[in-house]
Amino acid sequence: MNRDKRIGLLGGLIAVVGAVVLAPFLWLWAVAAWLLWRAWWRQAGVRLWALDGPARLLAAATATLPADRRDWGAAMAAELAQVPVQERAARWRFATGCARAAIFPPGGTRAAVGVAGALAVTATAAAALATGAVLPARRVFAPTFVGLLGGLATLAVARSHRAGWAWPGAAITGLGLAGVAACVAFLGYYLAEFPAYHRARVTAATLVSLPPVTAAVLAVLLAGCLWLALRPPRWLLPDRHARRFGVGMAVALIAGFVLTTSRQELGDQPGSEGMVFYLLIGPILVVLTGSAAAAAVGRSFRSGLWACAWAIVLGAPLLIAAWLAEALRWYQQGQGTVLDGAGGLGVGVNLGDAVWWPLVFLALWAVPLGVVGAAVGSARARRRRAREHGDLASTT
Amino acid sequence: MASFTRLSAQATTAVILALAEQPATWRYGHELCQQLDLKPGRLYRALMRLADRGLLEAAWESEAPADRPPRHRYRLSGPGRVHAAKLAAGPSVPAKPARVVGGIGRRPRLEGT
Repeated sequence: MNRDKRIGLLGGLIAVVGAVVLAPFLWLWAVAAWLLWRAWWRQAGVRLWALDGPARLLAAATATLPADRRDWGAAMAAELAQVPVQERAARWRFATGCARAAIFPPGGTRAAVGVAGALAVTATAAAALATGAVLPARRVFAPTFVGLLGGLATLAVARSHRAGWAWPGAAITGLGLAGVAACVAFLGYYLAEFPAYHRARVTAATLVSLPPVTAAVLAVLLAGCLWLALRPPRWLLPDRHARRFGVGMAVALIAGFVLTTSRQELGDQPGSEGMVFYLLIGPILVVLTGSAAAAAVGRSFRSGLWACAWAIVLGAPLLIAAWLAEALRWYQQGQGTVLDGAGGLGVGVNLGDAVWWPLVFLALWAVPLGVVGAAVGSARARRRRAREHGDLASTT
Repeated sequence: MASFTRLSAQATTAVILALAEQPATWRYGHELCQQLDLKPGRLYRALMRLADRGLLEAAWESEAPADRPPRHRYRLSGPGRVHAAKLAAGPSVPAKPARVVGGIGRRPRLEGT
């Protein structure tokens, strides 16, 4: 067999293995996408489908209005109904104008927006300068994280005309803050103590513990989670069951992780299988069942879906922090990496693993599982409701 | 930014003066757009701003036909009427705003002035 054929066969083999490995994820995502589409269609799709383009554009734009401006969206939609359907250009003009007002409603005073923007720029510059001087390995993460938070805060000031905000509750805010603070603290410690690691077994190269891309991804992830925990969008808030189940699922996910890592210790040999197994099983046990329970208790698909969203928003930073904490412990006990128990690598390698693996598994695995769980739970609730109606009808 | 601020302020002034023409009458968004030749985006931002400052009363139609959604209607509140009177008496604003023509430029250009 010549070399080209061998390479071709190898490529084919890799493609087949890749497809086999990815197939469960793809199938799960396909099912989740179909469930989401079906739920959306039942909730809003039929209504939106009956609208023309300008009305759909306006409906999408007014959905972004803050809670205290909601009436204005309905007012704009009612006025659009006054423009005859035959006058398509006029309807588009009216809808785009209203959409602009809905997306950029008058917010805080210009002075407040200016102050918030100036503070954000100053804080970002200070973070860049300080970390550049004190902790060079953190120079991508710190300014990106601070800049994103400052930008979000400025946007919030610009869009809101009232002081204060809808608070998601002490448990959500507390867990969100604790997770992000723990992540930032561990990150600082790792970058100060282990800014690089030595990959002795593979290439004998010295590698940076937190490459720029990973740092930027981590900054976006933490800023997003923190913002959602402090100032969530209005559609995530009203469902009390979703919030409670979300908090419970996040705590269970982390408790399961810590429990599993401490049990791994019993095996006590470097090279044990690590935590990759938990990343597969944990979301099934916690997110699938939790979302199903939330949907069943809240009697709606949405309750399960929002519970899953809260679990991931709160669980991701906590999982990263727990991963980094356990990695240090494993390292001190002479064990391998948390991901797969591989030895011969510096502890710094855990930093990249702690960002990418939970992220990949939460996005590819836990999200579709949560969607499926929500669908199962809401189907059970629907059947129970139908049975109750049937009983009621038979008794009357 | 400065010109945007000026345009916003002029749109707000134009809306106040238009509403002050018939202070007791409820007016509608689309109707105000047509009367003032204002883009809906500017009009609604001005209305929201006025409502935020307590200068505008906003209410939903109580009896809407079945074939269309109820409309939101607007008129000046007590403080809004006082503010409109001050604006009308001011040196740069004409006393009787009849109709703003040509959108909102540097200053509302009014018919019959």
